[in-house]
Amino acid sequence: MLNIYESLEQNQRRSALVVVLFTAFVAVAIYFIASALSIYTTGSTSFPLGFLGIGLIISGLTSWASYYYSDRIILTISQAAPANRRDHFNFYTGVENLCLASGLPMPRLYVITDTALNAFAAGRDPQHSIVCVTTGLLSQLDRTELEGVIGHELSHIGNYDTRLMSLVTVMVGIITLLADWLFRISWFRSGETNRENKSSGGIFLILGIIMAIISPLIAQLIQLAISRRREFFADASSVKLTRQPSGLISALKKISLDREPLEAANKATAHLYFSNPFHLDRKPLISSGNQQINYFANLFNTHPPVTERIKVLQQMS
Amino acid sequence: MPLLTILGLIAVVIIAYCVSIFNFLSSVRTRIQASIQEIGNQLKRQADLIPNLEESAKAYLKHEKDIFKLLADARKTIDAAVKSGDLNKYAQASDQISQILPKIQVVMESNPEIKGADILTKLMDELRDTSDKVMYSRRTLIDLTADYNIKLVTFPSNLVANLFGFKAEQGLSTPLSGKHLTVSESDLTTPKVSL
Repeated sequence: MLNIYESLEQNQRRSALVVVLFTAFVAVAIYFIASALSIYTTGSTSFPLGFLGIGLIISGLTSWASYYYSDRIILTISQAAPANRRDHFNFYTGVENLCLASGLPMPRLYVITDTALNAFAAGRDPQHSIVCVTTGLLSQLDRTELEGVIGHELSHIGNYDTRLMSLVTVMVGIITLLADWLFRISWFRSGETNRENKSSGGIFLILGIIMAIISPLIAQLIQLAISRRREFFADASSVKLTRQPSGLISALKKISLDREPLEAANKATAHLYFSNPFHLDRKPLISSGNQQINYFANLFNTHPPVTERIKVLQQMS
Repeated sequence: MPLLTILGLIAVVIIAYCVSIFNFLSSVRTRIQASIQEIGNQLKRQADLIPNLEESAKAYLKHEKDIFKLLADARKTIDAAVKSGDLNKYAQASDQISQILPKIQVVMESNPEIKGADILTKLMDELRDTSDKVMYSRRTLIDLTADYNIKLVTFPSNLVANLFGFKAEQGLSTPLSGKHLTVSESDLTTPKVSL
């Protein structure tokens, strides 16, 4: 049994641990892949950093745009309309009140006309943040439940999760790029260099190619693990704001029973939402079934299973 | 020479730590002051809002003199609290608002005519919102005070705090003993609800 403060601390520690391990893994993978690339192009391992630089620039530039304009991009994709105090009283004032409690500036509020139950937050920092909910969510949740969901989204904003996930995306992007380059180069030049460098750089070549095969996959799996960890953290922070785990728990239950997919979501924006908009984690609310299969499916999810989230929340109350 | 460098580095780290703790404590202390003002601000909003709501709901609540009296009393207490600037009185005032809510609910439920009236739903919503706002602004004060006081009692930040003479903040003053900490006989019995 953890109280809310211990749970927050534990989340923070685990989150930090995953990020540190991820960075270390990325560094090692990049080192080997870049060394192998360097052997192919210059014949020695003396030039690995050059490739890292190029990879960083390309991956960084592409991700920067999606990070910097994340709020505008997602609003355009999801066709959201601005919310106002009169028509969306509970939503608007709920956000107002929780901002008061958390000390965050008021985000811009939007509503998607969709009967599915979901919500998301985006924006590069609290000053440019948006919170968006579906009309289905507003009509089916009562004020306490809605506050739980809003608290969750505001925590994403306050914890700079958009920034963290953008950084992680850049790192995954570098690995994928470098691995891709290595495959292309080795495809064209396999014969000649292999013979020359068998003694000196052979080990780098082999390790580099192995890394190039497995590391993009591993990096993406860790990225998903970080995403899931941040969801737990946002749940816990939400409870710290509202002090009512029951609200968030019953909101999660209602949302998990709703089987309608959110039409405005696509694969690229799935990780932003309150619950996975594609129902991968929906089926067993009272799970029995094959744990092995559940665990494996869970590895590829942006969100932890709802049952797991509810269990953790119940421990706090 | 390396020994000196190491000692120098350690000194830099320690100084940086002291500076960060000092700045943390100073800024949180300022934010605690601000959050106390915010409570007053929200209570003032509440006091301004209630007469408006009273006016607009008057027609529907003609026969419910009790609720009117309660609303008027609550407003007087808030006004007095804002004038006195005393945090304890602030707390009492907004408790009164929270107590009115269920009573209006009862009136609405028992009167099918006024149950459908939008204006009363609106009244309920606004009353709940305004008392939520006061509650959350108090939450800020409580959380900030806790963050601040924890630094004052935990090692090693307490050394820095002592060095610069930071004093514990009182926060939202609540009596540390009394009825609200004990469970009375009536709290233990299951409430009877007749619908």
